[in-house]
Amino acid sequence: MFCVNCGTPVREDQNFCPNCGHPVKHAAEAAAPPPRVPVTQATPAVPPVPHYAPVTHASAAPAPPAPAAPVSGRCNWCGAAVDFSQPSCPQCGAALKLPAALSESGWTQVPARKDMAKLQMGHSHCQIEGLYVPVADFNLAAGDSVYFTHHVLLWKEPQVNVTTMSLKGGWKRMFAGLPLIMTQAEGPGRIAFSKDDPGELIPVPLQAGQSLDVREHMLLAATSNVGYDWFQTGIWFETQQGNDTETHYPVGRYMDRFAASQTPGLVLLHAGGNVFVRTLKPRQTILVKPTALVFKDPTVQMQLHFEHPGALFSMWRPWNNRYLWLRLSGPGRVAVQSVFERIEGESRNMIRWSNATAVRW
Amino acid sequence: MGDAAHSSAAEPFERIQCQWCQSMNEKAALACHACGAPLDIRNLVSESGWREAPRIRDMTEIQFSTSTCQVEGEIVPAAEIHLGAGDSVFFEHHVMLWKEEQVAMSVMSLSGGLKRAFAGMPFIISVASGPGRIAFSRDATGELIVLPLHPGMELDVREHAFLLSSHQVAYSFVRVKGLCNILFGGQGMYMDRFVTTGAPGLVILHGYGNVFERRLAPGESIMVEPGAFLYKDSSVTMDVEFQRLGSGFFGGANMSMARMTGPGRVGIQSMYVHHHTE
Repeated sequence: MFCVNCGTPVREDQNFCPNCGHPVKHAAEAAAPPPRVPVTQATPAVPPVPHYAPVTHASAAPAPPAPAAPVSGRCNWCGAAVDFSQPSCPQCGAALKLPAALSESGWTQVPARKDMAKLQMGHSHCQIEGLYVPVADFNLAAGDSVYFTHHVLLWKEPQVNVTTMSLKGGWKRMFAGLPLIMTQAEGPGRIAFSKDDPGELIPVPLQAGQSLDVREHMLLAATSNVGYDWFQTGIWFETQQGNDTETHYPVGRYMDRFAASQTPGLVLLHAGGNVFVRTLKPRQTILVKPTALVFKDPTVQMQLHFEHPGALFSMWRPWNNRYLWLRLSGPGRVAVQSVFERIEGESRNMIRWSNATAVRW
Repeated sequence: MGDAAHSSAAEPFERIQCQWCQSMNEKAALACHACGAPLDIRNLVSESGWREAPRIRDMTEIQFSTSTCQVEGEIVPAAEIHLGAGDSVFFEHHVMLWKEEQVAMSVMSLSGGLKRAFAGMPFIISVASGPGRIAFSRDATGELIVLPLHPGMELDVREHAFLLSSHQVAYSFVRVKGLCNILFGGQGMYMDRFVTTGAPGLVILHGYGNVFERRLAPGESIMVEPGAFLYKDSSVTMDVEFQRLGSGFFGGANMSMARMTGPGRVGIQSMYVHHHTE
């Protein structure tokens, strides 16, 4: 076992870490959390919506250790039933004692996560390490497996068995530039994933029957009980330059769809920069940069939206005067990232496009 | 205003001056209302005299005229503007992240359009007018630098580095002087120039990596990597100089450095790979 403070290997019989002196938590103690005294917690009749749990640590007073009364509530981010005396939500890793960062306009930032937050999936764990370019470190139990695209693999223990998972529509996927094969890792053992960009790691727990649409190349890893499928976005425009016409797909030609059918599963996404999420009400709309979209609920509809600014008509490349948006309409969740690529072909002459709305100011 | 007259002798009229932008703030304020810099954190100045730009706390709000700007995120911060009616901001259109449908869009006509188009600068500066919300961000990790401009200030900014500016600020561009500067300056032919005349305004820049600033005394100069240059007061002059590296007859290469000479502020960014922005 290892010291939880500095990572030095410690023997079972040691009570303190030989390197940093941190008390060693033995398995037996780890199971029973240290006594904490919930302070005037409201009765569970009132659904607790605390951003943080009012919990104080018991001082060294010789009071008999009160049984750790679980302060139950719901995680702000994923809605899982959680015990607020724990630092992080076991389903999604969100820090439970930090207020949700909510902007005035209604976007919630992907929740603050404590470094080394631990997620539980069945018998397996996933620890999320680092805050700048986070690593997802899985400890897979026997029989549990995760799948991923092979270039995100950071390290693994030799005994972890890696196999490939065949995907349907191989030819089409190859032409679309999608990964042809997904790689699957099977426990027992440890395996870790990361991407090469500073950004956020977004754990999205899926309940049985729930599904999620994700822009391509965002997946880091998913548990194998989550089904993977893909569909055409139907969002495109065609540009013309001389005799050349070119079709562009600002949100990608295909989108990934993850669905948990029988059992709940976990999808880990990686997005550049910071990530913001909001829930749209039925028919509520918002305009987002197409390349900033991270994920959406399948109920959210997408279409192109053009805006032509007022005040000036330019003879010089008039199509330069036009903004291209993705119009999302509810109901459902949408997420955007603050780092995005330029939209290819945006400033060229467009001749055809998929269903779109337009505004001339 | 009336506060000063009312404040009793027992309670001195206390204000905190923001160390970054010199605005006066309420005693209890945690972040500067004009630039968002945390007020309870000491200045980080290196021994050589560079000051690190303040790290704006997540969800900090900044006020300008009747609008507010909220800075969200700490990896690649997004600036979200809640425009009051009659207020507007201008920007290069590729930095828009999302907006509400009712925010009206227009473009600012610029003189010298053709010259700019050939120089690869944005031909059009877009304007978003309130009321409504619109948010901006850039394509790489870095910091938002909020520079409130007081009347009479003139600021020169590396091209493409500005994220947005409030409508009180006049925008123009200056040609970088000297062929050496253009060819070896690590930036383009033009710099953006922001000038305030009547009312104070706000300019938000995006610097790649970390941003450092120093104030040069008159005649004092410092050499900086041209690609790292981010902004300067217009009183600071910039010249490119060559330094011969290597020895012997054939070896060696020229290295260009920009000599910045005071008086005024100079800002640099720590990530200076050439980010091509079309």
